[in-house]
Amino acid sequence: MRATPPPALQLPPALRAARGGLSGRRVQTAVIAAVVLAATAACTLALGLLVDSNAPFDHAFAAQRGAHVTATVTPSAQLAAARPSGVTAQAGPFAETTDSVTIVIAGRPGDGPQGVFQTQLTLVGRGSPGGPVDDLTITAGRWASAPGEVVLDRNRRGPAPLLGSRLTVHGAPGSPRLTVVGLASSATGTADAWVLPAELAKLRTPHAPPTAQLLYRFARAGTTAEVNADIARLRAALPPGGLLGAQSYLTAKLRATGSIAPWVPFIVAFGLIGLVMSVLIVANVVSGAVAAGTRRIGVLKSVGFSPGQVVAAYLIQVTAPALAGCVLGAVAGNLLSVPLLGQTAQVYGVGTLAVPFWVDLAVPLAILALTAAAALPPAIHAARLSAVQAIATGRAPRPSGGYAAHRLLARARLTRRLPRPVTLGLASPFARPGRTLVTLAAIGFGVLAVTFAAGLTTSLNRVAADLSRSTAVPVQIEVPGDPSAGSGPAAGAKAGPGAAPGGGSLPSPAAQQRAVLAALHAQPGTRRYVAEADDAISVPGLSGRLSLTAFGGDSRWTGYALVSGRWYAAGSDQVVVNTPFLTATGTAVGDSYTLTSGGRRRTVRIAGQVFDPSGGTPEVIGGLTALASLDPQLAVTQYDVTLAPGTDTALYTAALNRALGPDYQANAMSDSSPELLAVIGLVGALMLLLAAVASLGVLNTVVLQIRERVHDLGVFKAVGMTPRQTMAMVICSVAGTGLAAGLIAIPAVIALHHTVLPVMGHAAQTAIPAAVLHAYQPWEIVLLALAGLLIAVAGALAPASWAARTRTASALRAE
Amino acid sequence: MDNLVQLTDVTKRYDHDGTPALHHVSLAVAPGEALAVMGPSGSGKSTLLNLIAGLDRPTGGEVSVGGDRVDQLSETGLARFRRRRVGMIFQFFNLLDDMTVLDNILLPAQLAGLAAARARTRAGELLEALRIAKHADAYPARLSGGERQRVAIARALVNRPALLLADEPTGALDTATGEEIGELLLDLNHSGQTLIVVTHNPDLAARYARRVIRLVDGQVASDAAVAVRP
Repeated sequence: MRATPPPALQLPPALRAARGGLSGRRVQTAVIAAVVLAATAACTLALGLLVDSNAPFDHAFAAQRGAHVTATVTPSAQLAAARPSGVTAQAGPFAETTDSVTIVIAGRPGDGPQGVFQTQLTLVGRGSPGGPVDDLTITAGRWASAPGEVVLDRNRRGPAPLLGSRLTVHGAPGSPRLTVVGLASSATGTADAWVLPAELAKLRTPHAPPTAQLLYRFARAGTTAEVNADIARLRAALPPGGLLGAQSYLTAKLRATGSIAPWVPFIVAFGLIGLVMSVLIVANVVSGAVAAGTRRIGVLKSVGFSPGQVVAAYLIQVTAPALAGCVLGAVAGNLLSVPLLGQTAQVYGVGTLAVPFWVDLAVPLAILALTAAAALPPAIHAARLSAVQAIATGRAPRPSGGYAAHRLLARARLTRRLPRPVTLGLASPFARPGRTLVTLAAIGFGVLAVTFAAGLTTSLNRVAADLSRSTAVPVQIEVPGDPSAGSGPAAGAKAGPGAAPGGGSLPSPAAQQRAVLAALHAQPGTRRYVAEADDAISVPGLSGRLSLTAFGGDSRWTGYALVSGRWYAAGSDQVVVNTPFLTATGTAVGDSYTLTSGGRRRTVRIAGQVFDPSGGTPEVIGGLTALASLDPQLAVTQYDVTLAPGTDTALYTAALNRALGPDYQANAMSDSSPELLAVIGLVGALMLLLAAVASLGVLNTVVLQIRERVHDLGVFKAVGMTPRQTMAMVICSVAGTGLAAGLIAIPAVIALHHTVLPVMGHAAQTAIPAAVLHAYQPWEIVLLALAGLLIAVAGALAPASWAARTRTASALRAE
Repeated sequence: MDNLVQLTDVTKRYDHDGTPALHHVSLAVAPGEALAVMGPSGSGKSTLLNLIAGLDRPTGGEVSVGGDRVDQLSETGLARFRRRRVGMIFQFFNLLDDMTVLDNILLPAQLAGLAAARARTRAGELLEALRIAKHADAYPARLSGGERQRVAIARALVNRPALLLADEPTGALDTATGEEIGELLLDLNHSGQTLIVVTHNPDLAARYARRVIRLVDGQVASDAAVAVRP
């Protein structure tokens, strides 16, 4: 009876050889697994975010046959016939109007905010939700079928009323009342609410010019340039002066993806860095394994391994740990994506958003394929080695270069005073220039990651400080009636009477002003203050709403970062605007623009562009008198206060709150937000991940170096090299490479920073102030250049310590 | 007269429960002596040399060289001991191929922190004495076996060690070159250099050593003086 062979012997020969190789080279196996893990995690995160930042909008837009261009026009008989070239589908004209409304929110107990809110709505008359363009999705209730019924856009900013809530349209004669019978969603936000077409005429404010909405899909509308060309053709096709405004779907898309899109560029940059590093390091590991395993290859071939089996053995040796790294990396990438995707999910209201399954599958497979491709050339080289030659070599091929470097470093005037172990170490990279270059590249990418992350963190902190304005305005006082101080209605809506936080009836605005000014004057530490009014209005030609911020005095000190131009002159028609405003209106600093809302018009002059993305919402900042003429509801909602030097903000705020009483709320401003902290945490995590990968690359190089030169190490020790000198020599063998990598990487980092930041800004729909862009101080650059040295030393420490501990006799016996 | 080398009851095992490479060996070598260690392969000759040189540690027993308890030194102490007390030459020379002859010779002096000028003077003397001065800037790979072994001897002597250890110094050389090296070692011994040579060549032992010990299975099987050559 034949005995069953043990399980190991039942494996194919290539697998058995690979298993032997894996167990004999644990460090390299661990390095491959770790670098592949890091690369997979970074790439999964990058691609996942990239896809998720666009996918929900793209899906909704395709499903609804969203409008590439939403045009606001002056109604005329020729409108329906106007069909510009390139149009593939058209809907409308639908009459539209912008009205001030009061919403009485109905709701079941425990169903969220209830109460009375005042806001502005863009109302459009449509007979049905369907159509060739902007095929609306009813998400709750039904479409309006009778007079007095209204369907609200579920994605509009402001309070979210339940079905059955009542709207009172104040501007229209008789203040008609509407009942919410449905909620619908439009991918491009073509309206805040829809009523039957016949209803709209009754809802129009007297003297407001009649406007209508035309929705178009074009054959070519993939880029801003193409959409602009489409708008130009549209303008030409319509009667002269007929086109009041045109909104690109790309603006809506930018706004919809705004919470996540800004972070995609830097995560993609990190992903690419990780990918390149892993390919470099894996190639280095495998070529080193082949070089160090020459004798083993000879033995395998002498016992009958075919070249194919040798290739297979080496590929398995690489792909097995790489597979483990890929799986774990995909898991890590998913975990890292949770904080950012969670925010996006909230924006879309889709419950949960996860890295798509195909990304989880495609990224690990692609990285596994890349790893195998990196391993293939050295594996083929191994297969081609002659068995006799490989065995005769007896060990890894001796270094073929570096003689001149040793000679030069030993004798040059500059270096001969250095301790001999240092010069020995500095010369060793020249023994294997190819490997040194790969190591240099790996460290260089590590420095790139570290320095980029440091610059990004600096820039993000400056962004946070600029957006919060907490340095210039450390204290803000919210006055009664400010929505954010009440029971939670969103910005852009004003709480109605009876919503006083203190529970009683609200004092008049003049009384509120007197109370605040008295408290500010009485409070020691008050240096300067200004009244601020905020509101959001609907403006024809702009999808969504226009945010208005008005100051009741000198506001130059309020801390807005200017991207271009200058601050508005008080008492003039000048305003400053944010980038989304310039983008949406096609204007530039220096231009004049006529704002129209609820039948009122105001022409303003754009003095400057401020850094205030506001989630993609266009924003106009100006004097209270000028902007109140456009929006009569614009009332002071808060006071911005700056303090005398040395004043304790917390104590000041507490004292002010005591003086003002419960109807007012003084807040100490902070420049940290949970979102920003999450992103900075992510930047830090990716930085550490990639720096660790670079260090692992160094570790691998040093391990290979020591393995190949272990006999020489024995000689050094035999002639009197101490453990400390051995460590110095080994560390110096990569220190020069690390230093060089740092010096080379720094200009690349600055270029990367200056490329990625504006792309991030573009994704967030804002230009970037110069102060945010210039993140690196000269002394920081010098320190960051040393990051390469740090990575090299960190990677070399463990193998250097191993080399120092190696027994001299064992090293001398080593082949 | 105090012994330069003193081994007392030294045992060395490579495997915890295997046969010892050296088994309760005791040995004394006086200053200026030339000792040949002979024995078949695996008898423990190289192990003995490694223990005296501080390249390895004994499992038991004491090893003293020039008053230093080698078996008790730390790794750093051992490295300093090797620099100052012993020079070692090997069968396959163990030169560093990427360094010139001069740099190979200078290395132990540089590691010991000897002043550069003094080290170069000493290396120059050795290059002349060993007749390899013309090869000072050459790389070892370009030299003959005999020349390489001369370089190795120069490197071993650069720090003026009290003890010179040679592990099969002629094993990789042809007969004529081997004789040359043997003569060189003999000359060194005549000038007062203490010498311990491991060899399996009885002729070499008989001609160039004054005392021969034979190791068999890790134990000293014989220890005999050799008649002084005329």
